[in-house]
Amino acid sequence: MNRLVTVAEMTLRELARRRGVLLLLLLMPLVFWLIRRDSHVGQSIRALLLGISWAVSTAALFATSAAREIEPRLRLAGYRPHHLYLGRMLGLWVLGLAVSVPFFLLTVFDTTNLRYAGIAVAMLCCVAVAAPFGMLIGALLPRELEGTLLLLTVVAMQMLLDPASSGAKLTPFWSSREIGTWAVDHTDDGYLTRGLLHGLVVTVLLTVTVAGVFAVRLRRRRHLHHVPLT
Amino acid sequence: MNADEWLRAFAAELHQRRVAVDAARHVVAEAATHLREGGGDPWLVFGPPPSYAAAIVESIGTTPGPRPGPVRLHARGITKRYGRRTVLRDASLTVRAGQIAAVVGANGCGKSTFLRICAGLVSPDAGEVSVSGRLGYCPQQGGTADFLLPDEHFVLVGAGQGVARGPARRAGRAAARHLGWDAEGDVLARHLSGGTRQKLNLTMSTLAEPDVLLLDEPYQGFDQGSYVNLWDQLIRLRDEGRAIVVVTHLLNQLDRVDVVLDLTTAQPGGRS
Repeated sequence: MNRLVTVAEMTLRELARRRGVLLLLLLMPLVFWLIRRDSHVGQSIRALLLGISWAVSTAALFATSAAREIEPRLRLAGYRPHHLYLGRMLGLWVLGLAVSVPFFLLTVFDTTNLRYAGIAVAMLCCVAVAAPFGMLIGALLPRELEGTLLLLTVVAMQMLLDPASSGAKLTPFWSSREIGTWAVDHTDDGYLTRGLLHGLVVTVLLTVTVAGVFAVRLRRRRHLHHVPLT
Repeated sequence: MNADEWLRAFAAELHQRRVAVDAARHVVAEAATHLREGGGDPWLVFGPPPSYAAAIVESIGTTPGPRPGPVRLHARGITKRYGRRTVLRDASLTVRAGQIAAVVGANGCGKSTFLRICAGLVSPDAGEVSVSGRLGYCPQQGGTADFLLPDEHFVLVGAGQGVARGPARRAGRAAARHLGWDAEGDVLARHLSGGTRQKLNLTMSTLAEPDVLLLDEPYQGFDQGSYVNLWDQLIRLRDEGRAIVVVTHLLNQLDRVDVVLDLTTAQPGGRS
């Protein structure tokens, strides 16, 4: 447990010291929200949720890429793969929640007649999915440029697809859009249930895939035999 | 050559003649005190560093070569190909406790790949590696986190071994002092000079007190004094019974190692 918390803490420390990154993390959802603010309130909230998802995914992508060199030596220093990826994910979840709080307050003070609990749950879904999603891209694509372009493609797809289409349900952040609709348009509880289920399934699937990729990358190689100390 | 440079050259000569680390440190400190208090050109006061070091060796003797202990690292038949290109062919190396092995060879001959295979970070196409005890690895570059302080690196590595924060910090600072570096400052790793960053890299690899230490050109960016400190530290670790493998291209250091694996010729087995 101590190893996991230490990795989470160091992830947070590293990100907290990158002030430019923190500023952009806050700026991205804010810009998304501002652009859509004059249109239907639902549009601005959905844009805000997408902005948070994108910002946290990008932070996760870069944190994973930056840690690629140090992880093998941490593995030799006694860490198991799950300490490394779960610790980093934990740190990114905490960061995502910290980024979401001011935006949640923004919606509370700016807009009336919303299901605020729904907005909070949608933001939680964004953060829960975004951290493993960005980490998975960072783990699969060693170069940041390729990772960023893939992230851009997925988020653009998320933005352009009709949310009612079956293809939209395959996109990672569909859950927050569904819950956002429940919170903004006061639709039936089916939206909330579907959204929660989708968010949970996607988070678990992404986390398991991240675990698989890390387990392969940081595996003990067969050619190396540890013999007892004599 | 000023007094400091003379002292460094003198210290290096003592080490090359296998004068015990503590005795060499004491002699160098005495010479430094003499120069500071009496003044004068060290070349006139003591003569050339090699001659004075030879005189000291005559007087105090050298440490007997350490008796090698049990085998700690045994790599045999290591072959590695990248596509059609074979970078390692049937390379073997045996290192015992209390020995330093050097892996040498031209650029691109597979020195770093061999070390990464020994560390278990890369799989070979053929061959096996047996390691007895705990393994430490210092990569050539990129083994540190840009936005963490040195102390935080020590805490991170220490936590892997279940070491508490305070002891991990103290152990890291003490290991850094052996390399002539005071690691207590609040300077992010990315703001450290290349040589100091490499000292951090090296300190991290020794922090877990490994039985087998693998170092990939650990001296990059080091000045002369740091270089001497590095070999001081390696000899100290060797005398404590560690098995050390150093990838190096500085052939002048080879007389201070016990085993050499030259990958240029891709000969199987190490030369002792």
